[in-house]
Amino acid sequence: MKIFVCILLIIYSVSQSHAELKKETLVLLDNLATRETHSIFFKSLQDRDFKLTFKLADDPNLQLAKYGEYLYQNVIIFSPLTESFGGSISVEEITQYIDNGGNVLVTGSATSGEAIRELATEVGFELDEENASVIDHMNYDQILDSGDHTTIVASPKNLIDSEMIVGNKNVKPLLYRGTGIIADRENPLVLPLLTADSTAYSYIPDSPIKEYPHAVGRNTILIAALQARNNARIVFSGSLFFFSDEAIMSQVKKIGERETHEKSGNLDVIDAISKWCFKEVGQIRVKSVKHHKEGEKEAPASYTITEPVVYTIEVEQMINGAWKAFVANDVQLEFVRIDPFVRVTLKSIGGGKYQAKFKIPDVYGVYQFKVDYDRVGYTRLYSTTQVSVRPLQHTQYERFIPSAYPYYASAFSMMFGVFVFSFVFLYFKDKPDKVEVEKKTN
Amino acid sequence: MVESPVKAKNVVPKKFVGISSLIIFSVLLVCWIAGFASRLFAVIRFESIIHEFDPWFNYRATAYMVQHGFYQFLNWFDERAWYPLGRIVGGTVYPGLMITSGGIHWFLHLLNIPVHIRDICVFLAPIFSGLTAISTYLLTKELWSPGAGLFAASFIAIVPGYISRSVAGSYDNEGIAIFALQFTYYLWVKSVKTGSIFWAASAALSYFYMVSAWGGYVFIINLIPLHVFVLLIMNRYSHRLFTSYTTFYILGLIFSMQIPFVGFQPIRTSEHMAASGVFVLLIAVALLKHLQTILTKQEFKKLFILGALAAAGLVFLTVVGLTMAGFIAPWSGRFYSLWDTGYAKIHIPIIASVSEHQPTTWFSFFFDLHILVCTFPVGLWYTIKKINDERVFVVLYAISAVYFAGVMVRLMLTLTPVVCILAGVAFSCLLEVFLKEDQPATAQKEEVETEEPEKEKKLYDKAGKIKPRKHESAKTENKGLGSNIKSMVVIAILMLLMMFAVHCTWVTSNAYSSPSIVLAFYNQGDGTRNILDDFREAYYWLSQNTADDARVMSWWDYGYQIAGMANRTTLVDNNTWNNSHIALVGKAMSSTEDKAYDIMTSLDVDYVLVIFGGVIGYSGDDINKFLWMVRIAEGEHPKDIRESDYFTERGEFRVDSEGAPALLNCLMYKLSYYRFGELKLDYRGPAGFDRTRNAVIGNKDFDLTYLEEAYTSEHWLVRIYRVKKPDEFNRPSLKPTKRALSDYATKKVSKRRKGVIKNRPVVVKGKRSTKAN
Repeated sequence: MKIFVCILLIIYSVSQSHAELKKETLVLLDNLATRETHSIFFKSLQDRDFKLTFKLADDPNLQLAKYGEYLYQNVIIFSPLTESFGGSISVEEITQYIDNGGNVLVTGSATSGEAIRELATEVGFELDEENASVIDHMNYDQILDSGDHTTIVASPKNLIDSEMIVGNKNVKPLLYRGTGIIADRENPLVLPLLTADSTAYSYIPDSPIKEYPHAVGRNTILIAALQARNNARIVFSGSLFFFSDEAIMSQVKKIGERETHEKSGNLDVIDAISKWCFKEVGQIRVKSVKHHKEGEKEAPASYTITEPVVYTIEVEQMINGAWKAFVANDVQLEFVRIDPFVRVTLKSIGGGKYQAKFKIPDVYGVYQFKVDYDRVGYTRLYSTTQVSVRPLQHTQYERFIPSAYPYYASAFSMMFGVFVFSFVFLYFKDKPDKVEVEKKTN
Repeated sequence: MVESPVKAKNVVPKKFVGISSLIIFSVLLVCWIAGFASRLFAVIRFESIIHEFDPWFNYRATAYMVQHGFYQFLNWFDERAWYPLGRIVGGTVYPGLMITSGGIHWFLHLLNIPVHIRDICVFLAPIFSGLTAISTYLLTKELWSPGAGLFAASFIAIVPGYISRSVAGSYDNEGIAIFALQFTYYLWVKSVKTGSIFWAASAALSYFYMVSAWGGYVFIINLIPLHVFVLLIMNRYSHRLFTSYTTFYILGLIFSMQIPFVGFQPIRTSEHMAASGVFVLLIAVALLKHLQTILTKQEFKKLFILGALAAAGLVFLTVVGLTMAGFIAPWSGRFYSLWDTGYAKIHIPIIASVSEHQPTTWFSFFFDLHILVCTFPVGLWYTIKKINDERVFVVLYAISAVYFAGVMVRLMLTLTPVVCILAGVAFSCLLEVFLKEDQPATAQKEEVETEEPEKEKKLYDKAGKIKPRKHESAKTENKGLGSNIKSMVVIAILMLLMMFAVHCTWVTSNAYSSPSIVLAFYNQGDGTRNILDDFREAYYWLSQNTADDARVMSWWDYGYQIAGMANRTTLVDNNTWNNSHIALVGKAMSSTEDKAYDIMTSLDVDYVLVIFGGVIGYSGDDINKFLWMVRIAEGEHPKDIRESDYFTERGEFRVDSEGAPALLNCLMYKLSYYRFGELKLDYRGPAGFDRTRNAVIGNKDFDLTYLEEAYTSEHWLVRIYRVKKPDEFNRPSLKPTKRALSDYATKKVSKRRKGVIKNRPVVVKGKRSTKAN
């Protein structure tokens, strides 16, 4: 029986991992030609076990979900011109998909459609005006540029400082042609993955500049990302060209530089970004949380003030499709009752386990063990465990304190004195009698 | 020294002893039964449930104690109250009530009588009202005469001022504390009369019970020293007084410190300092009296002046020094508000916000006491006229209680017993005068009783070395009255008493017998009764549909009920020990939704509960209490909340369209009136008409961002909202107003066709694409 169950489990897990390996991905295109012009990127995805389903964005049979279940784990929207999606897909549908944890990679272009713009605002970005492109007269590419300086060479230095998302920053220059993205400054979740140089601005190339451009210099975001609070990841690029074979394979010659690079750095960055976006990297989770008094094994119903406590949290990281121990040295624990009373850095004790030993503060109340590990590139790790800390019981106070001994002594001597006195009082009767007798005789 | 004035009873002729004790016994029994029966209106009309707010906590604590045992109760740390601070229940509660009903429960179960603890809790106060009647009888008998005692006992059994706190279901400290209060006073008077250590120790024991039952014990520990002090001033010092007070004080002090909640307060707070001061003074006086017997007059005078000055200076400096050093806590705010009625309103709005802490109106004096309030000055006059040691006590009791009852409605309760005693004295004296000749049997009895104080008087005079004062005897006045006048007066008095009984029953039935968690109203047409059970409906919903550890934010009034009925964690409750925590909740309620959301997330609130009476015209709802929330919040956060913002320019508090914008947009307003603007209560009236405030609400059309309606009870009385978690705001989208490119925001509204791609090469069937060529 047991063996049978084991076999079943194995079969189940194998099929499960198999399903995981084939990551269902929907690719929405304006034009099926994109499939050819961006083949390197798609090929790289397919090599990484993504099962791509190419559809036109206005396909009347489009659907994201069937019978309440999503058909795809990831969505790539390479259709910047979409005014509205076909089938059952709409911007609301996609945002709901994001809210349910789906990952989306979107590209815009200089002429982005209404649907793409709307989607952008839903996740906290804005694409610049119709026909506006990022222009950089100091950093354009001499080979591909058609004269309006919109094919710019973005320096890898402007990539976000996170190897988890964009990979190694020591890559060749990046080629970009498209619109600029304006991010909501108050949105704490937005990550500018790639910004333009300080000499860039975003405007309609052929028209004279009448008003101040919406995005100027380094505020012009070329690729932006958002990790939602449910850890869904959205990458928004202002340029479809950035992902194209042309951009990947082209030689790069920046204006003013003599050096000609054989190849742009686009592929490295695209690889890293897509890996991050589709959650191949940077996914961590809490496996288990344990807390108990020092010297014990099980968590008590409630702690008492000033007790030493041991807190252990086990964190795992997704590496190549499997959950492995997560290694870091900056995981912190807070012991919170409205405000943190204790804040310590957890010590790694191997196997992805982190431990902290501390003394519970001398204040009773309902506390939470709180681990909030929020690092750029990783999914947010947030774990709270509520425990109550009670004051001392009436039997737990010190019974005999040294400083009170004088009082004990005085109390007992008093009792003894009263005892003696009562004896004297009760049995020392003779004299008054005599006095009275004397009085009487007098 | 131990002369017993009680022996004066010997005067009763033997043949009347049996009959008079039968009368006493049966009158007291009838008192008990009548008192018990008149407190049952609520049970008969509704059901056997716990009333109001505080009783719910007492019941919950009692049930906990019965279930887990006394020591568990003593160490009970309630993590479901005052989240996240928690409350040490054992150390912050007067356990007398729980122990009393727990003891009764234990005893009944010992006898194999299975009674649910709830029924004991419901009927505890009515049962104790009988004991109160008996102890009032005893006290009055000691002070005046058994006849007056019987009057007092029958008054206290049915007087509304006491019934208001002791109807069945009103399971509160006061229910047993009034008994303890009266009994302590009885034993104290007895001990002053006898000077016996036994009675003083009994008084201390009874005081201990009082301390364990109610915070009002402070009244005793100040009144008894005051009594002693006044006696000293009146030069009525005696060894009896010395023995009884020293014994009572020391034992009472040690006993009272055994209650965890009281702890070291008796030696560390200003409220208790009078007692110790009088203790020191009494010993000093005793010492002087002793010295007087030893020293010559000249020496004594010198010593007296010197000693008195030195002692007074020393005591004053010690008290000031200790207070400065922090060993003695200064007066608490609640105490200040007793002297200055405006104090609480300015400094501690949380005290002023409770309706029972408001100054008493003249109306409620008559409402609660009826004829007694008119006759009690008569009794007071009689006692002052025939003053002796223990009558000084009742005079002081009366004067102080009248003052305190005038300051706070709640302290009407302490006035009621003394009013009953003195009214009993007054009626007994009146009837004594007018019944004497017509009804020999009663007259005889009364006569016998009147002799009593005279007899006592003489005995006291001997002991206290006071020159006997001349009192006119009651007998001398009424020789010449005709029998007609007498019977008319007697009939008039009886009529008055009858009207008193009718009034008491009416008040009890109409004003004090509503459980307040179940409301009833009568249809205007056919007079049938409708029950509004919204509170229990909503609390039951909470207990069934929310997570076990869900945290419910509400105004503190409902904290105990939520804990007791829904068994959910509350942030603040009726044990208003932490003003700043309450102010935080008040701030959340009076802020706008997004500001409130920050507070609510920092306090991990899962649900918000508000009481809204606009649909049925229930006036005790949260909007009517709202100004107190604002005031309390302003006290702690004066920068964020200002009371004046919630008034209109003309200083009105109104919810209609002319109301202040701060009010119309605050969380409490939105939670109360969410979707109310769509509701039409009747066919003629406009939608969104608030029946409580008789106004059409000003802000009808709004949506909630951070909360969602979870439950609204049948008559909209209780509304519960769920607070959305931060992760439900998954991706902050860019609001149209914040966008850099405003022109795109408008386009969004227009409906578009499905599936459009810009500049898409259109394939026309049957034609060759130009590109292909």
